[in-house]
Amino acid sequence: MVIPGRDDLSSARAAGAAGTSAALTELATEQAPAEATQAVPVGETVARSQWTLIRRRFLRHRLAVVALAVLFLLYLSAVFAKELSPFDLNPKLTASVLAEARHGPSFKHLLGTDELGRDQLTRILYAGRISLFVGLSVALVSTLFGTLVGALAGYFGGWLDNLLMRITDLVLVIPALAILLIAGQKVKTSGGSSPEIVLVLAVLFWMPIARVVRGVFYSLKEKEFIEAARATGASNRRIIFRHMLPNTIGPIMVNATLVVGLAIITESTLSFLGFGIQPPAVSWGNMLAQSEGSVGTPMAYLIYFPGLAILLTVLAVNYLGDGLRDAFDPQSTH
Amino acid sequence: MRHVRHRSSLLVVVLALALIAAACGGGGGKKNNAAPTENARKGGTVTLSAEQELDCAAFLATCGNSLWGTFALGQHVLPLTYNIDPTTGKQVATNLLAGPATLETSPVQKITYKINPAAKWSDGQPITSTDFKFTWQTIVNRDDSYDKTGYKNIDSVDDSVPSTAVVTFKQGQPFGDWRSLFAGFFGLVPSHILQGKDVTAEMTNGFTWSGGPWKLDHWTKGQELVLVPNENYWGQKPNMDKVVFKFITDTAAESQAFKTGQVALMQPQPQLEQTQIKALPNVTTIANDRFDYEAIWFNTDKPPVNSKAVRQALAYATDRQAIVTQLFGPLKPDIRPIQSFTTAANKAYYQQDFARYTRDLAKVDSTMKGDGWAKGPDGIWAKGGQKANLVISSTTGNKRRELTEQILQSQWKEAGFNLTVDNKKSGVLFGELLPAGSYQISLYAQTPSDGDPTNAGGCSNFCSENIPKQPALSGNNYTRISDPALDTVLRNVDNELDEAKRLSEFKKESAMLADDVPALPLDPLFQPVYYYNNRLGGVVDNPVYGSFSTLAKWFCKSPSC
Amino acid sequence: MLTFVARRIVFSIPVLLIASVLVFFFVRETTDPLARLRAGTKDPTTLVREKHRLGLDKPLPTQYTHWLKDFVQLKWGTSFVTNRSVAADMKSRFWNTVQLIFWGILLSGITAIAIGVYSAARQYSALDYTFTGLSFVGLSMPPFWFALMAIQFLVFAPKNWLHLQNPIFYSVGIHSAANAGAVDYARHLALPVLVLSVQLIAGWSRYQRASMLDVMSADYIRTARAKGVSRRAVLFKHALRNALIPLVTVMAIDIGALFGGLIITETIFAWPGMGQFFVTAITNGDTNVILPWLMVVATFIIGFNLFADVLYGALDPRIRMA
Repeated sequence: MVIPGRDDLSSARAAGAAGTSAALTELATEQAPAEATQAVPVGETVARSQWTLIRRRFLRHRLAVVALAVLFLLYLSAVFAKELSPFDLNPKLTASVLAEARHGPSFKHLLGTDELGRDQLTRILYAGRISLFVGLSVALVSTLFGTLVGALAGYFGGWLDNLLMRITDLVLVIPALAILLIAGQKVKTSGGSSPEIVLVLAVLFWMPIARVVRGVFYSLKEKEFIEAARATGASNRRIIFRHMLPNTIGPIMVNATLVVGLAIITESTLSFLGFGIQPPAVSWGNMLAQSEGSVGTPMAYLIYFPGLAILLTVLAVNYLGDGLRDAFDPQSTH
Repeated sequence: MRHVRHRSSLLVVVLALALIAAACGGGGGKKNNAAPTENARKGGTVTLSAEQELDCAAFLATCGNSLWGTFALGQHVLPLTYNIDPTTGKQVATNLLAGPATLETSPVQKITYKINPAAKWSDGQPITSTDFKFTWQTIVNRDDSYDKTGYKNIDSVDDSVPSTAVVTFKQGQPFGDWRSLFAGFFGLVPSHILQGKDVTAEMTNGFTWSGGPWKLDHWTKGQELVLVPNENYWGQKPNMDKVVFKFITDTAAESQAFKTGQVALMQPQPQLEQTQIKALPNVTTIANDRFDYEAIWFNTDKPPVNSKAVRQALAYATDRQAIVTQLFGPLKPDIRPIQSFTTAANKAYYQQDFARYTRDLAKVDSTMKGDGWAKGPDGIWAKGGQKANLVISSTTGNKRRELTEQILQSQWKEAGFNLTVDNKKSGVLFGELLPAGSYQISLYAQTPSDGDPTNAGGCSNFCSENIPKQPALSGNNYTRISDPALDTVLRNVDNELDEAKRLSEFKKESAMLADDVPALPLDPLFQPVYYYNNRLGGVVDNPVYGSFSTLAKWFCKSPSC
Repeated sequence: MLTFVARRIVFSIPVLLIASVLVFFFVRETTDPLARLRAGTKDPTTLVREKHRLGLDKPLPTQYTHWLKDFVQLKWGTSFVTNRSVAADMKSRFWNTVQLIFWGILLSGITAIAIGVYSAARQYSALDYTFTGLSFVGLSMPPFWFALMAIQFLVFAPKNWLHLQNPIFYSVGIHSAANAGAVDYARHLALPVLVLSVQLIAGWSRYQRASMLDVMSADYIRTARAKGVSRRAVLFKHALRNALIPLVTVMAIDIGALFGGLIITETIFAWPGMGQFFVTAITNGDTNVILPWLMVVATFIIGFNLFADVLYGALDPRIRMA
């Protein structure tokens, strides 16, 4: 049984900065102490069988497997958007193209057209590229950075740990969307390219991961096998990379998956408000921004589909994260 | 017992049916009268939507410069000397004056305003020439005045006779657009109330005095502004009891409010989704030109658009009619691109010099080849190793501009030009890029307060002395065109007080600009009016003051307006 | 306890200051408060005069210290753009947001706890899976999209299908001008509160469920059952109370975040609250509004976080000693 300790509360707070995902991230971070109690001296053979166990547990979670398949399909459809769709993303605006404007879903245009006659399904497929790219990149960047910072803070403690905590407090104090809007102003100035958006969003998401890793390191630091490793003369680097980090893989992966979903939603929110990806680049968020006025009109279908695309993707990501969490910690209350 | 139960259940059924009928049918509704009579019914409250909230009610100051400030409050409470006639677009004297002001041009410019003896403020005090003097002094002396243009040319205002104001200009500083003084987006402020006080502070949060048909009842920031009739107004008193402006800044929310009947009239920025609103039953749409327009502006200092030939070629490469039709056709079927730097609402001064620039790929070819360009293997023009790579910068977050740019990209690509879009935030575009000249092509609008030729392109936009210069970088000639002959003509238009001479100079100006093409006029920007004609009557649109210019003449057609 | 609270408050002050400095410099670097004037005025002297009048021609650090000096004397100043008193505007905006928050957490709290308890009690039942699925969906949707769909299907669809004169729910603002009454207010409040609640309920119900399951597998619960206490009593008298502790603290944290976190909801529903206030100020680079806004919102976040910690200690006797 795990009594949510104060550490978990503060990691929930750090997660709270990213929005009302407090629950999910909190549940994920709960696993850190649990994982720690399970920590087994990591050696080659033991690792391999542990991974097999993890994989087997994951496969038992049917929804997560389905989610993984769905995500893979989404990824493929975004990558092969050009091949999949008979229409151009930005067709030459000839009279015949313009004449197709504002048509609802039909056999020719499965998801309808917008006011310039552009096929919506095509745009959604291409927009998937940016949204998925942003989601994955933000997760990658924030995980790498967060893990690094969390590991150092957790292992060395002292002033570094204090600094980390204070920085987290600082960012916590400003509401997440406010930070993003403020940072997004800079992006708007330069035209809103994806890498900049990724950096802006990563600013927000590295903290929960850092806290999780720090939490694991803290609890592992005093364990006997670490002491043993130190006694045999292992360097700090070796201890961190070979002994401690592998124990954080579980929570890191779970957190990273959740960040992908949150990043996609946050990017779409920013673009919706006009601060993220700028036209003519197309993302699900700025498609919704452009179609906001269609509520209550026959063109309302312009709103349904980009939103459904986001929902489907993030839902799959969240179920995947759920499955990963189960795979890494079967003891979690589910 | 059984009888009673039957009767009561019958009653329930009847009541239920009545409720449903009331919910569905609503009050008034469908087809009362096909041709409503114009007896203006008295009384009623009407709710309208305002797309932007005015920042402050200090109309003379910088914070007071907002279109909706004028729409919702300014024009109703500050008396104006001249208003715009909606049919001709010309400035005509209002009932503040006993007749049009008289103008003398020598030895210096002098205007004599004869004030209507019946004109008075809401507290009963007459409107006098002292108010003219006080307004002028406030504008020129204060640091936070929005626009001192014209007022700083005035040498003195003689208020020795209360009913006559004589405005004398400084030697050598005539002001052609003099009808916009004590009019336009400001008006007169009462000296007897504001004398000795901080005018901006007194007015910022709203004020209850008035010199117009309405006065301010209350302004709840963020929510609504309410007007009630001014009992001491000397002109035609309003028909309605109350006008409520609801601030709905999100355009989608505004449409929803109108569609669901929560507001009776709206005058928003045009959006294509409004075709649905146009089609609603009992909705009247008015889509008249204002003086506002949008144009494509070239930086005549930056290659390749520093070459007149390239600019002309681009003008021939653009199908401006197709653009305006695609953007606005569904809302305003008769829309045409503008052919000079003003709109057709300006009946006195509108010219057609740019009409020669219709899409003609043959002319593009001949013009470019004549300037030494040749099409490369990729179909893009090149000269001396440089390709015709163009970059257009407009403001972010403006869907109409984004669509325009996308259509331009497509059209110009076919003609052999490669156009990239690089939009910036409004503050960056107008604050840095345009003044510093770090742009190549831009797309933005002009919103003149009247049809005077100084505002139709004019010296402020095309005179060489107005090219932004270090260090202050002030001056609105962002195209950086510098042509002494053009300068002379432009200054003549500004300073000339004789109408006939002005018009001929303006025609010269138009012809020169159409040859030089420092900018390509594109679309007239209108603000469509949508209202429920079964609830509201008496609505007429005005090119500057909007449909609210006749607010006093509006009337409710049914008890619930 | 008192020293704990005092220490936290004292440490928050430098954090607030640093945050305000960072935000000030960043906003100033990216946005020009005079931008609106540039696009409009013909008079070349206007910009120069205005810059001087607002003190924008001074070096940035000087501008910041000026603002700070005024702020600590509780002079909140006027907006660069509207020239209106920041304090007065903030007060009315704040009150409007509080209304949304109040009704939102009332609805969400009750619903989330109910769902959480039910799901834990009937773990693995069909309804449990349904609730879990719905929570996932709730957490996977962009909130602004849900708002638009809510408007489409709860405002327009009923109005069109049932041919109503007025829609059942309104989607714009706080009141209709003509009708200021409780029912009218409720019809305006319904959709924004719904949108806000979906997010909260999705997260809180999952949390409550997990918390309940945790508690219910505890030894003391098993003892109570073994002693013959009814399932219902165990659930409500023992498990729920203990399970609520972590949830309540998470709720406190989330509520603190709501004061600055309703930006999307307020924008879409034209609800004149703190969020909308902030977006306008950010777009205009109006630091005279942004900084006080930040101070107010940050104070609430810090305050509620502190409250959460204190509450946690107060409710859970095991923690108190720590």
